[in-house]
Amino acid sequence: MKNKILLPAIILLALYSCIERQNFDQYDDLEIIPTVEASILYIESPERLLNEIPGQDFYSQDFNFDGFSADAFSDRVLDGFIFYEIENTTSKEMEATVEFLDEGGNTLDTQYFHIDPAPTPLVQLQVAYGTGTGRSIEIIKNTSSIKVSVLNLGDNSSVSNLPDPKIIFRSSGKFRLRLK
Amino acid sequence: MRQVKLVLLFWLLGCIFITAQNKQILYDFTEIPQAIMINPGMSTDFHWYAGIPVLSGISFQAGSSGLTVNDLFADDGVDFNVKVRERAIYGMSTRDELSGTYQVELLNGGFRGRNRDNFYSFGIYNEGDATGYWFKDYAILAFEGNADQLGRKFDLGHLKTRGEMLNVFHFGINKRVDGALTLGGRAKIYSSAFNFSSTKNNGYFVTDEGQNNLLANTIDADLELRSSGLNEIEDALDNDSSLLPGILTRRLFFGGDLGFGIDLGFTYKLNKQTVITGSLLDLGFIYSSTDVKNYTIKGNATVEGIEVILPDAFSNSNADFWQDLVDEVDALVPHGTNNNSYIYFRPTKLYGSIRYNWGEPSNNNMDCDCNYMVSKRRDYTKYANGVGGQLYMINRPRGPQAALTAFYLRRFGRALALKTTYTVDKFSWTNIGLGLNLQAGPVNIYVMADNLLAYKNLADSHYSSFQLGLNIISWGKK
Repeated sequence: MKNKILLPAIILLALYSCIERQNFDQYDDLEIIPTVEASILYIESPERLLNEIPGQDFYSQDFNFDGFSADAFSDRVLDGFIFYEIENTTSKEMEATVEFLDEGGNTLDTQYFHIDPAPTPLVQLQVAYGTGTGRSIEIIKNTSSIKVSVLNLGDNSSVSNLPDPKIIFRSSGKFRLRLK
Repeated sequence: MRQVKLVLLFWLLGCIFITAQNKQILYDFTEIPQAIMINPGMSTDFHWYAGIPVLSGISFQAGSSGLTVNDLFADDGVDFNVKVRERAIYGMSTRDELSGTYQVELLNGGFRGRNRDNFYSFGIYNEGDATGYWFKDYAILAFEGNADQLGRKFDLGHLKTRGEMLNVFHFGINKRVDGALTLGGRAKIYSSAFNFSSTKNNGYFVTDEGQNNLLANTIDADLELRSSGLNEIEDALDNDSSLLPGILTRRLFFGGDLGFGIDLGFTYKLNKQTVITGSLLDLGFIYSSTDVKNYTIKGNATVEGIEVILPDAFSNSNADFWQDLVDEVDALVPHGTNNNSYIYFRPTKLYGSIRYNWGEPSNNNMDCDCNYMVSKRRDYTKYANGVGGQLYMINRPRGPQAALTAFYLRRFGRALALKTTYTVDKFSWTNIGLGLNLQAGPVNIYVMADNLLAYKNLADSHYSSFQLGLNIISWGKK
């Protein structure tokens, strides 16, 4: 009796069971490329300070910035953008320079901004790195510090008629990283 | 970090054996001694039984509620990245579970006491399991990133996983109270080789427009991964893998974390042919104090890059603003490790069933070399047919998980019994299982498999399990 049931059941199951063809090599094709974005640097100064510092050289500062040169980022970054936004509500005409410096202090990239006195629209700029027409992504990978310089091309006495006049520098980055 | 990778490795290994731990075919299959392991109050007529060491009970279970191997790896010409994106990352929900279990009995035996109403069982089994829920927001963050997703909160609570390997030493008593009621209980000592768990995570990561700068990244995290026993295993794997068997053996035999638990069960005959049963398994805990390493992240911080407000910043123009920012975030969201001992609870399971029996009692058809001095009692009468329903529940990191089973049991004399089941749970709505018990004289062999419909393409199966065992059974002397 048991053989009449068991044997056919096993044969049936063996014939019935199968596995469709699988291709596990497809895993090699997997790409994990997230796009991440974050702010980089924010600087603000009241117009009062522009009037207190005589001459054109208002501000110059090297900022250590290890975010780009960290292995976790520099080994994986493919391309991306740096966004700049400058808001000027002071009465001063200015020129700002942003330099990306490598570990030895050498300038890798320079970006100039001419800023008209208020009232003036926001200065906005998007700089591409690593894309076809953009600048080399190696600049980003090797950047170890950011130097910001601001020249006051105006006077040291005028006062904007806008409330709480300031010069504000904003920046952020948006990059694609290859995790796999 | 390497330990986190080790946890991931165990978890992924667990994913190969994905399971609900439900042994619905074995449950109340009273011909099989191992059925008493999932209901210590099972109605049994054995005089004694002895499991063949290591072979008496082997079970593997596998399944996936959200995704099958075929979904990703079918050779169908669809771009693999599209499949991962559509079927895994966005196709699965945080309720979808990936987990696994195996169990191997090292020793199992049972004997009837002088008081023939009492039956005692004892043994040792090795068990491993791992459970993980789909960490959806982590996956989206990894694949998509946070760009162009202003205001979207990535839920850090999506990380829920646990796993362990342990030996269980058990001794149980099964007592026939009267003709209708049988009660059972089992005490268990757990000896754990390792365990990990990360189940009470909270928090989020979000990118918003900044108050000052263009963007603000905010993290609010309360995350913890607890582990015990992984350090030494990791060292052995890195330096001398020949040490690994010794480490595991020592820990599995009282040299690791110890715990205690109980099983409870009953069988009650509503009338001559109708039986209800129930059991509560692994109501217990393990105290983890050996080789403990816990990882924690707790706090909240919002970052808008380096911020320089003049003229205040002139006073510390030589400051390292970047390092200050990193230090500030570290202080606001401290992360680290500790060696604090902890208690964790075993995944408790609940079974219940109702069965209606009919047909000719099978005792007359015995063809084995034994008599039925114990089973002569009317309450041990085994009918040729049984039909009924079973309920199964297990506690999981995301709450209880249930399965409903309908079954039909057919006995062909004393030598052969078949049980077929239809089970509905989160893994499958088409789970048909089949169990076969063969009694050749004193030798008992059983084989069980479920989700048989999935055998037409195993790679496309959400769930499958396999159990087998070999025992020697006696119903008493002539």
